[in-house]
Amino acid sequence: MTTTYRVTLRNRNGVPLDVAEDEPIYAAALRAGIQLPIACNYGGCITCAAKLITGHVRQPKGTALNRRQSQAGFILLCVARPTCDCVLDVGVESHRGLYQNPFAIAGNRYPPDA
Amino acid sequence: MLDECCGPGYASPADAMKAPRETLLYTVALYVGTGVEKPDYLATVDVDPESPTYSSVIARTEMPQIGDELHHSGWNACSSCHDDSSMARKYLLLPGVRTSNINVVDVSDATVPKLHMVVSGDEIKAKTGLSGPHTVHCLKSDIIISMLGDADGNAPGGFLHLDKEFNIVGRWENDITGMNYNYDFWYQPRHNMMVSSEWGAPNTFMPGFDLEDVGKGKYGQSVHFWDFEAKKIVKSIDMGAEGMIPLEVRGMHDPTSNEGFFAATLSSNVFRWWKDGDDFQIEKVIDIPTVDVEGFPVPMPSLITDILISMDDKYLYFANWLHGDLRQYDIADKANPKMTGQVWIGGLLGKALEVNGVTVQGAPQMIQLSLDGKRLYVTTSLFSSWDNQFYPGMKDKGAQMYIVDCDTAQGGMAINPDFVVDFGREPNGPSRCHEMRYPGGDVTSDIWM
Repeated sequence: MTTTYRVTLRNRNGVPLDVAEDEPIYAAALRAGIQLPIACNYGGCITCAAKLITGHVRQPKGTALNRRQSQAGFILLCVARPTCDCVLDVGVESHRGLYQNPFAIAGNRYPPDA
Repeated sequence: MLDECCGPGYASPADAMKAPRETLLYTVALYVGTGVEKPDYLATVDVDPESPTYSSVIARTEMPQIGDELHHSGWNACSSCHDDSSMARKYLLLPGVRTSNINVVDVSDATVPKLHMVVSGDEIKAKTGLSGPHTVHCLKSDIIISMLGDADGNAPGGFLHLDKEFNIVGRWENDITGMNYNYDFWYQPRHNMMVSSEWGAPNTFMPGFDLEDVGKGKYGQSVHFWDFEAKKIVKSIDMGAEGMIPLEVRGMHDPTSNEGFFAATLSSNVFRWWKDGDDFQIEKVIDIPTVDVEGFPVPMPSLITDILISMDDKYLYFANWLHGDLRQYDIADKANPKMTGQVWIGGLLGKALEVNGVTVQGAPQMIQLSLDGKRLYVTTSLFSSWDNQFYPGMKDKGAQMYIVDCDTAQGGMAINPDFVVDFGREPNGPSRCHEMRYPGGDVTSDIWM
């Protein structure tokens, strides 16, 4: 029997999603009528990035995030499956600190997240 | 002359230059990475100064799927089919780099482009093991598209072959031995040659630009010369630090010429290439110095992101996307190009923050030149994730399109004061405009057999 977890979209008025342990969070949101950013749909391109506030996910085949981005809490919703109840900020509004100008940060690889 | 019964395009570059002035222009416009959760679209822009809607978007053709990242585009037919009256330049192919979908738009009614069909990215991956479509060139009745990744988004990719009904034929090349990465290509059929360049694997460049990836060798620094009929590489040249990330490759339009240019984007050098008997040579001819910027721990390269050659093969134009300038060079002496014009639009050096009443987001990036060589159209977006790194304001304020008037007699460039299309004011929200094409063909798509 499939286990289902509660995933709360904090910056979408706290809307709750019931997400199966083997279902990508992006797909569960779409099923609930919520269109979140998406592009490659296989974990290679960063467009669907979101910020994990609490909880844990597993991200099979997700390659688009570097160590700094992962440590800052970003996840890829097209491949992320919950392993417990989670709270997320989603959409481009959650991308603060995701992107950096590489020439401005060279030599200072992992500054504190803005 | 056979012109009365002919197919698309023009009999020669000289004939193309005599075509009527362009009145419409197509540009892709993107919502990827902007916060507007809608599909990308093709924007039709009125560029007829006599028209009441000059300098505005007059049609928007939405793609069926969200998240394509439309990028480059190409015609089903160009002047290479000029002798084939059964062909028509009727369809514009719009690949989505991130979804691998190839959207085909019917421009039979030039002012109202309509979606014709989609070659599904999933089908392309399943049938050819390729993803990440980029450059589209027609080749007589066939179409070949450079693909930057394998089905999982890893290097080196290859070339997709479509027939004229857009059915997947398979992979075009017979052998890619020597190719580390893929990007752009140009072919010169009369010399049985093709040149291809290297960006990186989709899984490397799609998330953004990371200098650590450069250090790990995950970006290209080689160009490849092909035996076009045998569909295999005959010579690869590793350019080392001088040739990092070679992108757009252009050939002379004169079909008897076996020469051209390309830019190494990250190294910010322009190289010329030529066929030398049975061999191929390259030589660096322009070197744009880095600039020390206060607060930046490493010097800033200019980042030459697009380059093109005028239809008469007399001028070379290129864009420096980080510094913010567009340049014109006289290439009468190809080994010693002479700079004849320069304008500034946006950029990180802050030399032209506002142009024609609009605060510029980004800087000169994609460029397209009118057939007569007098109007250079320019857009300011590069690629959504890279825009978000270097010009983060663009996602909220959109990109811009300008015209730069070019003096083809004496040399020289000037920003046209009467034209600006601000994609920050699009009805569904700000979007990013990128590559541009004219309905009648242009200097970056037409090749002569």
